[in-house]
Amino acid sequence: MSSQVAFKNIKEIPPVDYYTSGRRTCAGCGPALGYRIISKAAGPNTIFIGPTGCMYVANAHQFLTSPYAVPWHHTQLGGGGAAAIGVASALRTLMLKGKRKLEDINVVVMGGDGAMADIGFSGLSMGLSYDYQRLLYIIYDNEAYMNTGVQASSTTPWGATTTFTPAGKVKPIGNTRLKKNMALVAAAHPKVKYVATATLWPPLDLMNKVHRALNAGGPTLIHVLLPCPKGWFTNPSETVDLSRLAVETGMWVLWESIEGQFKLNYRPKPRKHVREYLAPQGRFSHLKDEDMEKIDKMIEEEWKFWEESAKLGRLVVPY
Amino acid sequence: MSAIKPMPPVAIEKPKAKVWNGARAIAETVKVADVDVIAAYPIRPYTGIMNALASMIADGEFTADIIVADSEHSQFEVVKHASAVGARVFAGSSGVGLAFAAEPIIVTALSQLPVVAAIGTRALDDPGNFGMEWSDALMFRDFGWLISWAKTVQEAADMTLVAYRVAEDRRVLLPHFIALDGAAITHVATPVVPVTKQQATEFLPPYRPPYRIDPQDGPVTKAQHIAPSLIGPEERKTIDVAQKRSKQVIAEAWKDFAKYTGREYTPFLETIGMEDAEFALIGMGAYMKDLELVASRLRSKGHKVGTVRLRYVRPFPAEELINALGGVKAAGVIEFGYSFGSPFGTGSLYHEVATSLYEADAKPTLLDFLFLGGREPTVEHFTQLAEKVIESAHKKPQKKTYWLTLRGEDI
Repeated sequence: MSSQVAFKNIKEIPPVDYYTSGRRTCAGCGPALGYRIISKAAGPNTIFIGPTGCMYVANAHQFLTSPYAVPWHHTQLGGGGAAAIGVASALRTLMLKGKRKLEDINVVVMGGDGAMADIGFSGLSMGLSYDYQRLLYIIYDNEAYMNTGVQASSTTPWGATTTFTPAGKVKPIGNTRLKKNMALVAAAHPKVKYVATATLWPPLDLMNKVHRALNAGGPTLIHVLLPCPKGWFTNPSETVDLSRLAVETGMWVLWESIEGQFKLNYRPKPRKHVREYLAPQGRFSHLKDEDMEKIDKMIEEEWKFWEESAKLGRLVVPY
Repeated sequence: MSAIKPMPPVAIEKPKAKVWNGARAIAETVKVADVDVIAAYPIRPYTGIMNALASMIADGEFTADIIVADSEHSQFEVVKHASAVGARVFAGSSGVGLAFAAEPIIVTALSQLPVVAAIGTRALDDPGNFGMEWSDALMFRDFGWLISWAKTVQEAADMTLVAYRVAEDRRVLLPHFIALDGAAITHVATPVVPVTKQQATEFLPPYRPPYRIDPQDGPVTKAQHIAPSLIGPEERKTIDVAQKRSKQVIAEAWKDFAKYTGREYTPFLETIGMEDAEFALIGMGAYMKDLELVASRLRSKGHKVGTVRLRYVRPFPAEELINALGGVKAAGVIEFGYSFGSPFGTGSLYHEVATSLYEADAKPTLLDFLFLGGREPTVEHFTQLAEKVIESAHKKPQKKTYWLTLRGEDI
């Protein structure tokens, strides 16, 4: 099944977009770019569920336009998990009862890190425990509550400054919690068919993962790291570069779990020092050299477990 | 926006009565109403409805998807979104469960999705309390939900079917709560004449939402974030108009319901002995049976006492209430819901009644009788309060509100 490659090269990417103009996202918005790629991969027979977040507020517009060329429904900040179950259940039941034509329809939740890792955590977990097909939870992780003005979430990395975790005289580090690994959490649900991590680099990786997820035959989750110039204090032109650096420094690990089979997608060789990823970001500008060394050391340690998982072909919990 | 005009049957089906509690009776109506998606989460006293539905589905009595949710919040998110796709749905809760689900509950009305949900009314925490209070259901008075209140198990079963018809009518498209007094309706078994499958099918047309979230219907974007200056007030007015229109739809639906089942109800108020009444007892729900008993006893002693029972709190039948109370000298509101710090320390229903009567030509003396915190009332309490109402007509009452089951001083 699901190691298939649907999009082999950039020329094969369908020219049609289902996430288009009519929005007011920031220049260089990682989640918007992610939305475009994900919706392209999912295709026209897709329903998007949008929990509150950047991709709700910033995708609206002063002139009542909509960027979505497929059905889209808002759900509450904590409602993504359950809303998708409502949609999937309705479609399946209506088809079963002969009230609707039999058809494959994708249900994709575009939930931010706050919506999925914090307030909607319980509902997401419920959603992952059912067996609806073509149900995909995307966590578009820009590592904080960005549209409310950059507040820390449970996926904000150690050392990042946010408005709720500012670096100050007494607390110089900023955020001192460690980033929650949502893909690992998802993989702990026995009904889940496919779990992956992704970002905007390498090209086509995210598209192929969306394709695999939607064809996996059960609930699936992709945790996508998407840089945010506004909250990361980065240059809008560097969004894709930051995705690449996150992978090449080992800060963001690309992996898949296909029906429990672990696959490491990319090994940075040699792994770049995490400084290269942190230095361009204003949110880490207060960190001292020793702090960056500490992060690099954490990455080093964690990678032993990813290598171990790759060797065993199944996940080993790295924490 | 055309009115639904089903053909009435030639001969009314008269099935044999069953002995069911309220929970079971509602589940039986949900079954014949061809509901597609149900979301369940346990909390007393409404849980029995979901237990019954789960058994029916497990035994193949009807086809529906029952989602065992992780919380009431998820429960109401599930049905809201299933409804948006075109499924007929059912949910329910009680007490603090409803409070937990407040966010999706409110959004459902403002999104105009005709979810039908049962409330087994229950006192709010703290402390945890299985007693009956109305504060849970009345929390949702202000957000666009239609709210009806059953007096008997039979009425609860019938209201469930009518709720779908009213909620799904294109002139309304609002969600609908059916409030059942906890224990008194949910757990008490009485003979019930079931709504038959044929009656339900003929009375209730299939649910067809105007703009489905379904690729078949094209790229509908629903509930997008808006600039308040764009459609803010108009969107609120749409809900307001739907509430106002629902009155006619409710009246039509109950009239039709009688044609299909032979069971007749006045749509908004049930009045007993009000034609010549000098005193009125106003209330809702299961305890009205006791108040009707008290009123008839007092009548036999020569006091002209009548009862007025509200079958709907939303839409609130203000005109009907003013008409029913015309010529009454004194009236008492009997209620199980309160608003701490409210004007004169009065209850939630009192506010609605008093606001209505402000527009009446003649205003009766209005007293408020509160049963709070879930302690069970008795016929004796109801007799005492009725006597207070009678007395107030010729002797100015010392106070407006009375906490009847309270031990200690009612200060």
